[in-house]
Amino acid sequence: MNRNEQIYVRRRIEAVAGLLLLGLLLLAVRAVDLQWLQADVLSAKAEKQRYREYTIMAPRGPILDSQGRTLAESVEIPSIAAIADEVPVERVGALAKALGLSASKLKRKLRKRKGFVWLARQVPPSVAEKVMALNIPGIRREQEWRRYQPLGPETGHLLGFVGIDGRGLEGVERTWNDTLTGKPGLRQVRRDARGHSLPDSGWIRPPVPGKAMTLTLDASIQSLAYAALAEGVREQRAKGGSVVVMRPKDGAILAMVNWPGYNPNNYRHFHPGEWRNRAITDVFEPGSTMKPFTVAAALESGRWQPDSRVFCENGSMRVADYTIHDDHKAGWLDITGILVHSSNIGAAKLAMDIGPEALYDTLSRAGFGSRSGTGLSGESHGIVLPPDRWGPVETANIAFGQGIAVTPLQLAAAFSVLANAGEHVAPVLFADQLGKQPPERVMKAKIARQVVRMMEYATSKDGTGWKAVPAGYSVAGKTGTAQKPNSRGGYSKGKYNAVFAGLVPADDPQLAIVVVVDEPKKSIYGGQVAAPIFRHIAESVLPYLGVSARIENDEPEWKTLEVADVASLAAAESVNGMSMREVRRFAASRGLRLRVHGSGWVIRQKPASTNGLEHGDMLEVWLNE
Amino acid sequence: MRGWFKLWMMLPLCIAVLAAGQIWLSHLRYEMSLETQRLVAKQKDIQRESSKLRLEAASLTRPERLRQYANSKLGMAPPKPMQVVHL
Repeated sequence: MNRNEQIYVRRRIEAVAGLLLLGLLLLAVRAVDLQWLQADVLSAKAEKQRYREYTIMAPRGPILDSQGRTLAESVEIPSIAAIADEVPVERVGALAKALGLSASKLKRKLRKRKGFVWLARQVPPSVAEKVMALNIPGIRREQEWRRYQPLGPETGHLLGFVGIDGRGLEGVERTWNDTLTGKPGLRQVRRDARGHSLPDSGWIRPPVPGKAMTLTLDASIQSLAYAALAEGVREQRAKGGSVVVMRPKDGAILAMVNWPGYNPNNYRHFHPGEWRNRAITDVFEPGSTMKPFTVAAALESGRWQPDSRVFCENGSMRVADYTIHDDHKAGWLDITGILVHSSNIGAAKLAMDIGPEALYDTLSRAGFGSRSGTGLSGESHGIVLPPDRWGPVETANIAFGQGIAVTPLQLAAAFSVLANAGEHVAPVLFADQLGKQPPERVMKAKIARQVVRMMEYATSKDGTGWKAVPAGYSVAGKTGTAQKPNSRGGYSKGKYNAVFAGLVPADDPQLAIVVVVDEPKKSIYGGQVAAPIFRHIAESVLPYLGVSARIENDEPEWKTLEVADVASLAAAESVNGMSMREVRRFAASRGLRLRVHGSGWVIRQKPASTNGLEHGDMLEVWLNE
Repeated sequence: MRGWFKLWMMLPLCIAVLAAGQIWLSHLRYEMSLETQRLVAKQKDIQRESSKLRLEAASLTRPERLRQYANSKLGMAPPKPMQVVHL
């Protein structure tokens, strides 16, 4: 190798070494850049790749009735979503078929945006499984909560419903949305390369389910009231109706129903007008059901006594330029007679004598003209004009329930005042609110009792409300028939509200029930239309509540009662299904010693058969309600 | 000298054993994590099922359904107040 060649080789080695050095230098620079300058950003990126955060939706709290029965509950069901730009166009047809949608509609949804898009929300699990089995890129199964109300239309108006995003849109669900809504949780998961969670996953913020709410409502009473109202409305070919059942003692609302109902599980299929809880949102002129309060105001004024007599003008009386008529023409009537014969003229005379202020005072303290305090959204105040706007005609009209508008709930609460010996107990919808508000005195206890006794006469055979009385019970109630106002400020011809409001049993009222039937066709009278619905509800609910019918000796139904042939208790091999009383009788008849656990009905016994038991042996039973 | 050498030879062995133990432990943790995930999923399934069953029970025992069933299938009717005696 000559010198030139040596120099050439050397230069080449130097060049390669130089390149290597340069490479090393660049690597060092890059290493410094990565490990030092970009360290924080890159570490954060790596952590982000390794850790993933998921939002976990919390369920809405259930709504329960006073017996703990489920009225509304959320269940987790699947929804199908997509990352729109990842879904292959050629698979859209198969996807549409599995989802039961048209391909064009699905394409429109996918074209809406590039990222996340909902394809079908809250679908049956079988549909979701079918879709996921197609294994289409970009298609995701998400879990969502869906609200169900097992009683459907029976509780629909009161409970309302929940939208697809879990927000309460009507009724209890809307008003107490914040309490019922759960707080979503945030979970951090460390994943391996295959996407499996690694051990140090944990909650950043655990989900908090919504609070359960227990209502004062009783599902059985609600259902009975709904069925009775539906039957009555159908029979009268009426437009609709409402019923409120209250327990006067503590103001508990036991039932609140409207007909026609709507199914809250499928609310979109109904017109928004049908979603309204008309028992609190809609007002009506109460008609003669206002008369007990006029009478109470008159008695409270001290100017009138129960045995005072009023001349009822033989059915027609002129007040200013307006003539008041009575359906049952009468001359002299005592105060009880005014209620029994439902005399408009008698009530008007009482009101005009005591003056607007005294009547207004009684009405407003009984709760008319102000919200009842349940807190339900959309509740109406009702319409009670201030007394300075009452002329003689207004005073006379309001005395018999015209020119005043109330809600069925207000009327039930006002009748509860009479049941509670003159004390107003605000209606309560939530079990935890019972007994929280102190009662307010509206009238003297003596006067309230006198009015209740008078109303009892109004449901006697001579009164207008006799059809409201179930066999074995006494009812203190009042019928009402009111013409419906029209849009021109007058009264519409042939359109009436038939009303019955009452307390039962009259001597110790356990229930205040208000029935309003809107535009009945067969008859217009409260005593013919609403009173039978009242009776139907009362005769079903009172035995259920443990209020026994009073059995009179001359009661024909009692005489014809059939008694089932019951096998002798002592011959039974098993005591399963027996009540506490029956099992005690059984043990006594066989001379057995008895040990009882629980209450209700026998669900287990020891020994399993009573055949081998001798006198003095031990029988142990477990009862469960 | 020979004793020292033997002791130095033990060191890599110990390191190897500890490393193997560490791998085994992390495998165990991984398996346990999978098991936990499986159990959590199962718990969620059971909660979902129980919620569905609760709703189903509420739906099947709703008073209106029982009334219709008693009426149409069993020929029963609601008792008159006089037929109910509270003991």
